[in-house]
Amino acid sequence: MARRTKLRKFLRFALLATLLAAAGFTLYLDIRVRDEFEGRRFALPARIYARPLELHVGLRMPQADVVDELKLLGYRDIPRPGEPGWYLREENRLEIALRPFVFWDGAQPARSVSVAFEGGKVSMLRDAAGTDVPLARVEPLAIGGIYPAGNEDRVLVRLTEVPQHLVHALVAVEDRSFYRHAGFDVRGLARAARSLFTDRVQGGSTITQQLVKNFFLTPERTIRRKATELVMAVLLEIHYDKNEILETYLNEIYFGQDRDRAIHGVGLAAQFYFGKDVQYLSVAESALLVAMIRGPAHYDPYKHPARTLERRNLVLRETREQGQISLEQYAAARGSPLGVARKSMGTSPYPAFLKLVHRQLRRDYDEKDLRSEGLRIFTTLDPRAQGAAENALTKRLAQFDKEKRFGQPGLEGAVVITDPQSGEVQAMVGGRDVRYSGYNRALDAGRPVGSLLKPAIYLTALSEPSRYTLLTPIDDGPFLWKSRGAPDWEPLNYDKKFHGMVPLRLALAHSYNAAAARLGTDLGIEKVLANVRKLGVERDVRPFASSMLGAVDMSPFEVAQMYQTIASGGFRAPLRSIREVTTQDGKPLQRYPLAIEQAFPPEPIYLLAAAMQDVVREGTGQSLKSYLPPEVTVAGKTGTTDEQRDAWFAGFSGDRLAVVWVGYDDNRAARLSGSAAALPIWGDLMSALSPEPLALARPPSIEMVSIDPQSGLRGGVSCPGAVELPFMQGSAPQERAPCSGPMDAAVEAAGEVGKAVGQGVERAKSWLERLFGR
Amino acid sequence: MKRFPKRVLTPFLALTLAACATQPEQPREPAPAPAPEAQQLPAPPPERVPPPRAETTAVAGLMDSARTDTAAGRLTNAAATLERALRIEPRNARLWHELALVRFRQGDYAQAESLAARSNTLAGNDSDVRSANQRLIDDARSARR
Repeated sequence: MARRTKLRKFLRFALLATLLAAAGFTLYLDIRVRDEFEGRRFALPARIYARPLELHVGLRMPQADVVDELKLLGYRDIPRPGEPGWYLREENRLEIALRPFVFWDGAQPARSVSVAFEGGKVSMLRDAAGTDVPLARVEPLAIGGIYPAGNEDRVLVRLTEVPQHLVHALVAVEDRSFYRHAGFDVRGLARAARSLFTDRVQGGSTITQQLVKNFFLTPERTIRRKATELVMAVLLEIHYDKNEILETYLNEIYFGQDRDRAIHGVGLAAQFYFGKDVQYLSVAESALLVAMIRGPAHYDPYKHPARTLERRNLVLRETREQGQISLEQYAAARGSPLGVARKSMGTSPYPAFLKLVHRQLRRDYDEKDLRSEGLRIFTTLDPRAQGAAENALTKRLAQFDKEKRFGQPGLEGAVVITDPQSGEVQAMVGGRDVRYSGYNRALDAGRPVGSLLKPAIYLTALSEPSRYTLLTPIDDGPFLWKSRGAPDWEPLNYDKKFHGMVPLRLALAHSYNAAAARLGTDLGIEKVLANVRKLGVERDVRPFASSMLGAVDMSPFEVAQMYQTIASGGFRAPLRSIREVTTQDGKPLQRYPLAIEQAFPPEPIYLLAAAMQDVVREGTGQSLKSYLPPEVTVAGKTGTTDEQRDAWFAGFSGDRLAVVWVGYDDNRAARLSGSAAALPIWGDLMSALSPEPLALARPPSIEMVSIDPQSGLRGGVSCPGAVELPFMQGSAPQERAPCSGPMDAAVEAAGEVGKAVGQGVERAKSWLERLFGR
Repeated sequence: MKRFPKRVLTPFLALTLAACATQPEQPREPAPAPAPEAQQLPAPPPERVPPPRAETTAVAGLMDSARTDTAAGRLTNAAATLERALRIEPRNARLWHELALVRFRQGDYAQAESLAARSNTLAGNDSDVRSANQRLIDDARSARR
């Protein structure tokens, strides 16, 4: 009797303890569920956008390039009534149904525009009503993100944005009793219990359970985990209504991989698989997404189209059986193809540029915020320039490799393109594998720059107009430099010859080393290197004579910074990759404004740029002529280092500046000069971008004088091969060349009068224009 | 209503603004660092340049909206809009001048001076812009002192 009492007591105690433990555990789960579900905000990657394309009359962009950009944006080439995101091409016209987009400065609704092209330019821009519009901004291309752990990517959507037919299909297939059950489904449980013993993967989880599983639990299958899942599902149902659970589920669910990026949620899945926003998904498209939930790899519409189509049709049938779609809808959807238009990019198609953006962002933002707050980053990347740079580099490197037969690893290269006026970085290629996100040579490869530094020497000279003009003879005889603490330095010329006295502009154009070394040391090494710093080079340059001839390691990005100052007329602008940052819902956080600083007066820069145009006209860069039409003037400089380990070309047109480097990572001699290896890449990419001719504003104190190249004296039409050269006023030669006739002097005098009259006309014109408000 | 009044509006607006314009006061604070941009209390504009000439309609429209923003004290937006216009017409001296004005009102005198100098290098024979730039540079310099 006592034993029975004891046993009963024990049992009672055990029961109580179990109940208490269960209650405690449930309470713990309850806290966890509420805490995490409520506090849970999906970690959203910072989303990074390219620059938006601005269509306007006069835009230098041929129709084909606009179409390419629309294709990148996932626009379809057939009209889709009632839905934006398509274009129609008719001869020289484009009808575009632009998507809505929340820009930095506000939301822009969907709109249709009609664009006409003529001679590689936009010649007309109208809206749907046929009215001229001044400007139409196309939404920017998403070029990647800064992702949370696991590279999870998603675009949050509200349940109200999700089409009803998607929800119906989901419920019909995944959890028919979703709106009735309390978090679990008895029949499903029974199936699940059986599966524990039969080792067969069985569904049977409700939507709530699936959400719990994804949210809180590991994927193992044990009884304990199943029980926890069940309790948590019930708790979730107690605290939240069906719509909240459904919305979270739709945003959480996994839809497969895009290389290293995980696609989550119907919002991103709609964009990724169909190139559209979720509200525009058709019945068939919705069914396909629902079909994939069971196993995105197994039902991959690309790898297994037949199997996936079959499952999609099964989803459609079940939806139809539930009476959620009409027979017509069902028949139409069943007959339609899979219709996927995936554009794969992984975490980013432009990893080199992304790295630059990320670095610039880290100065102002926490890494954690970048990976979770869903910030929107508007950058300066120009997809057209980026594409041109990638094509040019990969094509040429493959060609050089073939010709060289050096074997693996092959030649490498890097490209940076910027806007010379604003310092905005338009493109960056970090190596020949343009999608590889590792070593970024454009940013991180410090390589000797060779003759790319010579413009600093000539700029220093031209800053003293009383001593140096473009015609001043420079001695290109043998040169020996002795200085304490450094080995003797005896620079040789590329052609192993010396050229005697050469006019300054041609010494630069032909990149004569002895002449440059003599000129630089005459001017003073410190003075030249001070100008190198003023041009925007921040790294320490050792005060050696050889530094002036490029025994200095720099990255292509640093070279671009230096040349930007020349290209913009002496105004240094820090190279920027970011324009604006907003919160996830479009609230502006920060702008990175255009900032410039005058580093040099405009006159010496103007003279230097003229000499750099001679590089391309008659010097080491003259082979560029075969890439660009003659009216497109550009300025540039080649660079080649010892044993041709590095080949460089840096130069600019009116609207773009580009720097190209080619060489081997292991520093082997590439046996390619700047003009043989880097210049063709520069030429290819520039010619693909229909560049504007370089037209630097001529400072008023600079005059143009016709010079006879033979004598270096004033020439004119009677002198064969006479060239117009800029001079600081009063610094041009006064004497006339023997070939110059009396006519030339008369023409010159008449020119002066004409100029004065022209100024008068100009003044009157601007007065009239003001009067009439133009 | 859409096309005709715009041309009338531009000079009208400029005139109105010019009428309200006064010489800037001596500033009380040093110029802030240029980046990232901070919204400053608007200071009165030093002077107005007559409306632009020969811009494309795209740029003229942006210039109008920048002026509206400036008048309403939305200087960050005005600057952004002018930068947008400069991407279309980087050699337009008047745009650079307008941006210099906005920077001045933001209290960024160093940038105001640089931008006005940039405008000058592009102004050619446009003596209106040149003299407006010179006044702005002088004002910015005395403001920085």
